[in-house]
Amino acid sequence: MTEPISQISTSIDALTQELEIITHNLANASTSGFKRRCNAFSKVLDAQNGAPDTFSPGKIELESALDFSQGSPVQTGRPLDFTLMGKGFFVVETPEGPLYTRNGSFEVNTNGQIVDSTGRTVSGEAGPITVPPAVSTSEIQVSPDGRLSANGTKIGKLQVVDFQENEGKLVSAGENCYLMPDKTIQPAATDKIVIKQGFQEASNVKIVDELVDMIMVTRLYEANMRYVSAQRENSTSLNSVAMG
Amino acid sequence: MLKAFSTAATGMAGQQMMVDNIANNLANINTTGFKRSQINFQDLLYLKMSHAGAEVASGVNTPTGLEIGSGVRASSTTKVFTVGELENTGRPLDIAIAGDGFLQVTMPNGEIRYTRDGSLQVNANGQLVTASGYSIEPAITLPTDAAAMDIGKDGTVSVTDASGTQSSVGNLQLVRFPNSAGLSSEGDNLYSQTEASGTAVTGTPGEGGIGTIQSGMLEKSNVQMVTELVSLITAERAYEINSRAIQAGDKMLQTATTLGR
Repeated sequence: MTEPISQISTSIDALTQELEIITHNLANASTSGFKRRCNAFSKVLDAQNGAPDTFSPGKIELESALDFSQGSPVQTGRPLDFTLMGKGFFVVETPEGPLYTRNGSFEVNTNGQIVDSTGRTVSGEAGPITVPPAVSTSEIQVSPDGRLSANGTKIGKLQVVDFQENEGKLVSAGENCYLMPDKTIQPAATDKIVIKQGFQEASNVKIVDELVDMIMVTRLYEANMRYVSAQRENSTSLNSVAMG
Repeated sequence: MLKAFSTAATGMAGQQMMVDNIANNLANINTTGFKRSQINFQDLLYLKMSHAGAEVASGVNTPTGLEIGSGVRASSTTKVFTVGELENTGRPLDIAIAGDGFLQVTMPNGEIRYTRDGSLQVNANGQLVTASGYSIEPAITLPTDAAAMDIGKDGTVSVTDASGTQSSVGNLQLVRFPNSAGLSSEGDNLYSQTEASGTAVTGTPGEGGIGTIQSGMLEKSNVQMVTELVSLITAERAYEINSRAIQAGDKMLQTATTLGR
């Protein structure tokens, strides 16, 4: 008697979390370099409608994997906006270790170093990249493989790394960055990537897809709730029969 | 309560800020020397329900974790210092800076501000001033008998008197910053130096990375109407969809509350 109810409450919790994930995706529809989280719980639940045997209580695998698919490049014309076309990340240095990001909206700080929009140093292949004082940011050019130059003078090369099959192990650190909690996994330098200057990578959140998921979640939530109320009615009538 | 409400609210607030920023860019589409602002967003911190790579059994790690984010925040606005279109006005006192650089302006309280608006004027004392009447630094005074004036590419201001004799009365100097995006906007087309912008480096136009001076031209705003309109539509839709998320959450809670009846 109680078991179906506890199953339902687990799935209600999961659906609530799923709505929260969808909302977070939607809130970041304009965050450059943002990667949406796909949360397939409602789809799994929906697919299992035909085969209820496979659904066992307490075994709901709610995962929120990051979807690292490419966001569309949006032209900004700023010389320090870079988009990565392909799999890979820029590296930003923090006192706690490197963070990885796809948000290539960079700035130059007072020391001439290239930094991200929160002021953390962007890592080059040979440490931080320093723009010489005589070079204005509008003169900076980038080659598709990340070599920065100004008027023919080399400035440095942006470090671009790839985690290959370990990409899924990255966790979000907020502020558009990802963190690799497993220190044994080291990213490899990648050359299968093209850097475009003057573009920002738009968030890969697709509003319509999220809207469809959101409708599905609300409907499934409603259906689960209906089941709970039906159960309640059943037990009430059962009780009234027993009590006479 | 549902976390989704506050998450969607951060989304709506962010989009609202984006619209505010676009509105200011559009309002300044005809402002001389105006530089458009670009707003940058960042995702907020995550609630980690389970960690990716946690060991569930000996040698078995979860491939992905469960992280629930808490929305978005506007992290910064960046002034985009790309050069605006140069418009020929034919007025000798109109100057445009082709390339990097700012004119220095002395405020009434003695502080120095910076501008790219080169629609200069001459005040009652013959001094070169901005359109708002603030004097240009270094101060340049035109003699009262000047019949014509000319500003060279390197900033040399020369005048011709009634007899046709040409003489130099001073040099316009420009400054540049290590990080011009870090300047603080003061309104009136003026910027002021901040910790982030670094110290102004003064120089002669055309040297050391500083742009040249084009007399008889004005630099128009670098706001592109179409780009701004596209961003406006995107922001509007994103705002709408975030409000839909609140509605969805509300509907779910409604279903839950009717359960108790």
